[in-house]
Amino acid sequence: MARRRRQLEPKGKDEDVRIMAGLITAAVVSIVIVASMFIAPPANVGPEEGSLAPDFIASGYNGGTWEEIRLSQLYDGRLVLITFLDTDCPHCWTEAEYLSELYEGSEGTVMFITIAVELAISGHDSSREEIEAFRDKTQFGDNQNNGDGCYSGKKNCAERPGGPHSWMYVDDLPLSIASEWDLPGTPFSVILDGQGTVLWNQAQPENHPSGEDMGNALLRLLGGE
Amino acid sequence: MANPLADPILLIFISGLFASGYLLANGRGKDGLEGTNRMLDGSLAFTVTGLLASAWTWVIYNDLVRNPMGGEFCATEGFVQCGSVIGDPRYNNFFGISWGMLGFTAFTALFFLILCIRMDPLAKWSEQYTNYAWWLGLAGVPFLFILIGIEIFVVQHICPFCTIAHLALIGYLIAVWMLRERRERSAWY
Repeated sequence: MARRRRQLEPKGKDEDVRIMAGLITAAVVSIVIVASMFIAPPANVGPEEGSLAPDFIASGYNGGTWEEIRLSQLYDGRLVLITFLDTDCPHCWTEAEYLSELYEGSEGTVMFITIAVELAISGHDSSREEIEAFRDKTQFGDNQNNGDGCYSGKKNCAERPGGPHSWMYVDDLPLSIASEWDLPGTPFSVILDGQGTVLWNQAQPENHPSGEDMGNALLRLLGGE
Repeated sequence: MANPLADPILLIFISGLFASGYLLANGRGKDGLEGTNRMLDGSLAFTVTGLLASAWTWVIYNDLVRNPMGGEFCATEGFVQCGSVIGDPRYNNFFGISWGMLGFTAFTALFFLILCIRMDPLAKWSEQYTNYAWWLGLAGVPFLFILIGIEIFVVQHICPFCTIAHLALIGYLIAVWMLRERRERSAWY
């Protein structure tokens, strides 16, 4: 009986090598991750106390023109008070007055930065012109409740209580910084040390002495209390 | 670091790309399973180069987060540098995850697929895995274009280690394309 020869297809290994491949991959990945973390450990970045404050690049206004600024480039060793305000938020209206008082009292020992946001609330319709007017206390809008101006468009920005602010205002109308900083609402303040580590976050009152506001916190952190 | 192109780690990565390319070309010239295995070695070498380069950009990212004014692992000035690319908080992450870590994850998946095929190129599933390796690699191409676009047109600086990872992906895609083509003309074994 004639036997027909048939070319056999090569056969793979009997055991499934995929498990071993998975183990090798896991080992390689583990070694690389451990080595990478040993060389440069990942920083804990976030708005929480003890974390490195999220860095940002945005347009800043310091009384002249709007210029691109980077938060980490502003650190100069002083404490940094970052306050999120909405020019249309009624609470921010009074907060601005408090900030004026704190600024006067700090005598240059604290760097003030205000981040102007536009919350997604009806009547909150801000702009760079409005931010400038809020900061500088200049004429913008009227008191006719027609949507122009500050305070939900009900007041002329020049009537804001407190003096004109002489520190940096940052444009975050698109809320990109606010998103990274987990902004709970406005006004909202965070205090950083001179290297950008968050020392005090208004949203973490459980970590602070009872009833402490940002003014008391600044005093405590400056060693005055 | 004065000249990033003289960085010994960068030179190691460049050597990795050349070695991967050599293995691939060498395998292509050989028939049968030996050539296939050599080409798989080349593909694997591309994934390892990409994986390590991505991990290194993650190291640089972590360093620059702590020291935004200048890290110790890559130059922050000049056209070829890392500071303006990996150090820019606007473009150095994808929904909060660094590009380096994303690249590392992607190359890990590619490494696993190619390693499976390399360990048993005659397995029933190896053809299917070759296809997975191809489509998964292709999925990285849009990100490649986005990142190169950001480097050239937005920040206008070239990050050398990012470029190594990009070239590793391109090399990998060429390798897997050749492997698929080898299969199609029944030259796999």
